[in-house]
Amino acid sequence: MKSKKFMLIVSVLVLVLGIASFGVMAADKLPVVIGLQGPITGPYAVEGEMAKQSVEIAAQMINDKGGILGGRMIEIRVADDACQPKAGALAAMKLITQKDVVAAIQTYGSFVVLPASDVYEKFKKVNIAYGATITDLTERGLKYFFRTCGRTDTQAKFFADKVVPYFNAKKIAIMNNNTSFSVGLAEETRAALKSRIDAGEVEIVYFDAINPEETDFTVPLTKLRETNPDVFYYTGHFPEAGLIIRQAREIGIEAIFVGGDAVVNEDFINIAGIEYAKGVYQTQEALIEYFTNPEAMAFKEAYKAKYNTLPSSPWSVYAADALCVLAEAIDKSGSTDSDVIADYLRNKMENFPSITGPVGFDEIGDRVGSSINLYVVNADGSSSICDTK
Amino acid sequence: MKSNKNINQKNSIFKNWLVILVAILFIALPFIINAYWIDVLFFFGIYALLGLSLNIVLGEVGLFDLGHMGFMAIGAYTTAILNTSFGIPIIILLPISAIAAGAFAWLVCSPIIHLKGDYLCIVTIGMGEIVRLTLNNNPFGITGGSNGVFGIDFPSLGSIFVVDNSTKFYYYIWLIVGLTIVGLVNLQRSRIGRAWNCIREDEVAAESTGIDVRSYKLLAFLLGAGLAGVAGNIYATKLMIVSPESFSFMESCMLFCIVLIGGMGSIPGVLIGAAAISLFPEVFRTFAQYRMLIFGVAMVIMMIFRPGGIWPRKRGALKFESLLIKAGEENG
Repeated sequence: MKSKKFMLIVSVLVLVLGIASFGVMAADKLPVVIGLQGPITGPYAVEGEMAKQSVEIAAQMINDKGGILGGRMIEIRVADDACQPKAGALAAMKLITQKDVVAAIQTYGSFVVLPASDVYEKFKKVNIAYGATITDLTERGLKYFFRTCGRTDTQAKFFADKVVPYFNAKKIAIMNNNTSFSVGLAEETRAALKSRIDAGEVEIVYFDAINPEETDFTVPLTKLRETNPDVFYYTGHFPEAGLIIRQAREIGIEAIFVGGDAVVNEDFINIAGIEYAKGVYQTQEALIEYFTNPEAMAFKEAYKAKYNTLPSSPWSVYAADALCVLAEAIDKSGSTDSDVIADYLRNKMENFPSITGPVGFDEIGDRVGSSINLYVVNADGSSSICDTK
Repeated sequence: MKSNKNINQKNSIFKNWLVILVAILFIALPFIINAYWIDVLFFFGIYALLGLSLNIVLGEVGLFDLGHMGFMAIGAYTTAILNTSFGIPIIILLPISAIAAGAFAWLVCSPIIHLKGDYLCIVTIGMGEIVRLTLNNNPFGITGGSNGVFGIDFPSLGSIFVVDNSTKFYYYIWLIVGLTIVGLVNLQRSRIGRAWNCIREDEVAAESTGIDVRSYKLLAFLLGAGLAGVAGNIYATKLMIVSPESFSFMESCMLFCIVLIGGMGSIPGVLIGAAAISLFPEVFRTFAQYRMLIFGVAMVIMMIFRPGGIWPRKRGALKFESLLIKAGEENG
C-alpha cells in the first residue's frame, strides 16, 4: 500500500516537472524577450509590482513606435525572487534557461542582486540592476553587470556636502536597520563626514542599528534623545521608518528627521500619519513626478493612462530605464549576443536620453552621473524639492 | 503461516526495487530536465539534508528544535570565512564545518538539554535568532554584517575535478544525501537508534532501563548540527555568498514542517517533506501571491487527514506469531 502511494507521488512529481519544462520550450520565437527579476511576492512585493508595471509601460512605448531590430516587439518575462538570496539565484537560473531571454533586468535589494549577478555572469547574460546601491556590487570585476541606479556613496556625499550645511547642523544622529543597503549608507555617510568632523564643524553623537522586525523602538530612541541631535538621519526602509518617526516625536525628539532613499513613499505616510510625516526630509534618487524631459513626460502620460497614478518609488523607474537602455543597445548594435550588448553598453553608449535623463556607463558598469535631491513632505502628502545648491 | 512469510519477502523485494528505481531516476534526471529544474532539485537536496539532520533531533528523539538554521549558519560561515580569508579548500572545510557546527551545538545545548517540550523549543528559537543577529552585527569585522561574505570557491579535488556547474552540484549534493541516508538507516537499527526512540516514547522508562538520557540527547543534537553544518558548507559554495537573510526563523519553521509533513522519524517521509517544501513553491510560483495561500491550505488539509505525516515510520516490531515462526525455523 505504502509503496504504491510512494510510486504515485513520484509519478505525479515527474509529470509536473515534465509539463513545466515543456511549457518553457513552447515559446514564440519572434519577439525579443527581456527578463525581469523582481520581488513579486514577499515583504517588498510593492516594489516588484511597481517595477513590473513600469517596465511593461516602457516596453509598450517602444513597441508602439515599431519595436526594435526592424519591427520585432519586446516581450517581458517576469521571474519572482521574493526578495531572498536563494530564490534570487533560482530566479536568475529560471530566466537563463529560457533560451529566448536575451538579457535581464534584476532586482530590488543588494543582498539578492549579489548571488543573482554571479549566476548571470557565469552564463554570460547581460543584467542591469535597478534597486541595488551598495558600493561593492560593481567593484567585483563583473563583465555583464550594470546598474541604472546610483551608489550609496553618491548619496552619502550628497548628505555630507549639501544637506548638513543646508540645515547648518552641528550634532548628527545616524541610525540604520542592519540590512546591507542601510549599513552601507550609514557607513559611507560617516566616511563622507570625516573631513568635517576632523575640522570640528560637526559631530556624530549617535551611530547605531535597530532591528527592523521589531515594532517598539522607544528604547533606542530614548538613548538617541539623550544625545540631543540637530539632524536625525535614518538610512533604513519605510515599514519601520513610519513607526520610528511617530515614536520619536511622541517621546519628544525635536530633531530634523532626514530619511535615506528607501524611507519616504505613500506607505510611509500612511504608517506614520500625515501629522508626523509632514516636514520629514529625505535624500532621494530621482522621483519621476519632478522630471520634465520629453521621455519622462511620455512615460508619465502612458503610466497615468493605464494605472491612474505615478510610480511612487524611484527604483521602478530605474527598471524602466534599464529596459530603454537594453532596447537601445540591442537595436543599435543589431545583435542579441551578450558580448556585443555588453560592449555597446560599456563603450559606445553615451548620454542616451532615457526616462530619468541621460544614461551612460563607466568601466565597471556604474551609471555616469546621478540626480539626488533633498525632498520634503508637504502637509497634503506631496513632496517638493529643497534648494540645497 | 507460510503465506505470511512469503508476503513479507515479496514486500522487501518490492521495496528494494523501489529504492533502485528512485536511484536510477535521480541519476537520469539531469539528462531530461533543464538547468533551472536541476537547480531546483539541488535545493531540494539541500532541504533533504537539512530535513534529515533535524529528523535526528526532532523525529528520533522528539526534541523540539526551532533554531536549526543556526547550526547551518555556523557551518556556512565557517566555510565562507576560512575559505575567503585563508584560502583553505572547500573539500577540507566540509568536515571542519560539520565539527564547528557540532561543537557549537554541544556548547550551547549542554546547559539546556534537560529542558522539556515547549521550553526547549523556546530556547532553541532564541539560539537561532541570536546566531543570526550576531552574524548581522559583524563581530570583529569577520562576518561582513548584513552584506555577508562573498567570493567563496567551488568544491574541488585538486584542479582536475571541480564542482562548478548545476549538474555537478546536483550529483554532489545527492551523493552526500545518499551516503547520509545509508548511515542514518543503519543508525536507526542500531542500539543508539533504539535508545533514541525509547527516550522519545517515554523518558522516565528509558532512564529506568539504564539509558543515559542526557548523553543520548546531546549526541542527537551533535549529529544533527554536524549534518546541518555540512548542508551549510554546500549551500555556501553553491551560492558563493552567505548572508544572514538566508538563515531566518522562517527557514527553521520550514525545516520543522519538512519533518512534520513527512512523518516523525521516517527517512522516506523526510524526503517527501523536503520535496513538498522546496518544489511546491517553485511549481506554483506563477500564482504569485496566492502560492503561500495554496501552500497553507494544503498543509491544513494534510494535518486533518494524515496527522502522522505522509509516510509515518513504524518500528519493525515482531508480532508474537512471527516469533513462533522464527522459533520453529530454528528448531528445524
